[in-house]
Amino acid sequence: MWIVYLKEMRSLLRDRKTLIFTILIPIFAMPLIGFGFAYVAQSMNARAQAQEIKYAIFGAHNAPAVAALFARESGFRTVPLDKSVNIKDAIGDGRIKVAFNLPERFDEVINSSQQAGLELHFNSADAGDIVRKRVGAVVEKYNSALRQKALADFKLTPPQLAFVLNPVRLDERSTANQRERIGALIGGMLPYFLLFVCLLAATYPAIDLGAGEKEAGTLETLLLAPIARSELVMGKFMVLFSVGLAAALLMVTSLGVVLRFFAARIDADLAAVVSTLGLGDLALVGLMLVPTAAIFASVLLAMSIYAKSYKEATGMMQPLVMVTILPVVLAMVPGVELNWLWASVPLTNIALAMKEIVKGTMDYQKFLMILFSSSVIAALLLAWCRNWFGREQVLFRD
Amino acid sequence: MIEVKNLSKRFPQANKPDKSARRDVRESEGWFNAVRNVSFHCAPGEVLGLLGPNGAGKTTTLRLLATALTPDSGTASINGIDIIDQPMLARRQIGFLSGTTGLYGRLTARENVEYFGRLHGMAAPQLKRRCDELFDQLQIHDFSHKRTDELSTGMKQKCSIARAVVHEPRVIILDEPTTGLDVMAAKVLLDFMASSKRAGIPLIFSTHHLHEVEKLCDRVCVINGGASVFDGTTAAFRQQGGGDIFDAFVDVINRTNQSNERSAA
Repeated sequence: MWIVYLKEMRSLLRDRKTLIFTILIPIFAMPLIGFGFAYVAQSMNARAQAQEIKYAIFGAHNAPAVAALFARESGFRTVPLDKSVNIKDAIGDGRIKVAFNLPERFDEVINSSQQAGLELHFNSADAGDIVRKRVGAVVEKYNSALRQKALADFKLTPPQLAFVLNPVRLDERSTANQRERIGALIGGMLPYFLLFVCLLAATYPAIDLGAGEKEAGTLETLLLAPIARSELVMGKFMVLFSVGLAAALLMVTSLGVVLRFFAARIDADLAAVVSTLGLGDLALVGLMLVPTAAIFASVLLAMSIYAKSYKEATGMMQPLVMVTILPVVLAMVPGVELNWLWASVPLTNIALAMKEIVKGTMDYQKFLMILFSSSVIAALLLAWCRNWFGREQVLFRD
Repeated sequence: MIEVKNLSKRFPQANKPDKSARRDVRESEGWFNAVRNVSFHCAPGEVLGLLGPNGAGKTTTLRLLATALTPDSGTASINGIDIIDQPMLARRQIGFLSGTTGLYGRLTARENVEYFGRLHGMAAPQLKRRCDELFDQLQIHDFSHKRTDELSTGMKQKCSIARAVVHEPRVIILDEPTTGLDVMAAKVLLDFMASSKRAGIPLIFSTHHLHEVEKLCDRVCVINGGASVFDGTTAAFRQQGGGDIFDAFVDVINRTNQSNERSAA
């Protein structure tokens, strides 16, 4: 078995270009792209929040208090515009971001305890929500002051005032700590990265080990060597298993490094959670990857030995990515939590277990059950693969 | 000594036979009888040529003999070792070479040969000695460190021969070894076959090149429609064609085709 293993590893490691493009680049690029995107999105959002909003106000004399409110607000700057200017054009060419139109008798309406309308013009297609929310916050501040003033006329005490404004206050006491909250998020994403790298890294070598041997005409010669078929299968399986597992573990390292350096730039809570993850947690994630890599290695090798050519093998393996996506997506669906039922669903249970490990809420009985059931599945798939290596109709499909 | 007696092999038919097409005598009830009661033998120092048109069953016969496939009935033995009862032991006796060179492109010539030596259980010192010996004989030393995907066809052929005989086999089986080779690469193989014959090793090879048969073979076995339709000496075979081996081949194939068609009808 080890003769086959060493030969296949040597052959694989010599194919540097493919190694770099199919294994190393995804491992190091995927976390950088993922977190780079999060970082850019977060920075853009922060910039949009801090950006000065230039506004024009029409009819300021109808509500001097409102005009003064925006004039005082930091991050807002008034731009004097003539009444004849087309507001849409002014927003379109960037002279202003928003325009307010205060109708006549605005203050009169307010003073008579009636609701008054403040017209807001903005481009909702251009990061509109942030602008709308910032304007809304200023208006809400004014509303709150008016509300309090109106209620003060009823001579209410502060507790009574609080009652009138919000009779029932919702006091939130989450049982989840910071690690559980943030861990659910990163833990949900982790299987995507790890399972895909584990599968993708083993795919190319798998094609080489079965269909590649058929296409190169080496399989027949190899089958005639005095080596038990089980040893041959195990040698090839071990190559795919170790490549898949190594790639996934490298991905864990790569993600760890990226998180260590970039988490603080994205979110302080995220950085705090990352710092609480210890070697023990990583070892548990690594243990979960063992049966996963074995499952993928067995399926890929069986497919590869069945295929007549590289092309056929590639075509057969592509749907496998979809088959892997579904159980992982399932683990992200709200309401799907790790219980004994989900712990018995292959791959979904591994994705759920990884989430629980990162959250720090793993139930070790379920962990052992998942490890055991996944190992049994991997063993059955390996036996199926061994069976195919013994079938003449599979080996000599030509 | 290679002895083959009434070897048969059938495969399930993937597609139903076309009823409008001419019926093949090998088809029966969802099965395709690729090899039907084939018998021949090859003594030490003899070369046996396995002849037949494309699809006759030559490759399947050689795969059965080399233990890549398991026969449904019949027996075969290599130096007294039954290939069905002791396939592993039989494999240690066989050096097998097919039309494709069967080399791993990303490994060097030496690594390819050593890999198969190790698979045959050879110890490191024994393997090194044998590799050096073969590389001397076949003049491989100059390119033994090069990856085989960088070698010329002739170099690959030499390397392939070394790979096939690294474990010092007692019999040699070659499946259309010269198909697609240029003259110089084919010569490498024919020289190797001649030297094996001189060394007293029984050698069986399938071919479409009748001049190779005339040059090397002591015996001939013709397979047509999955059955052996001639088994005898090369001289006796030539005699059937009035002294011309080409005419002898065409005659035996035509005769058996007519007989098969009558049986199928």
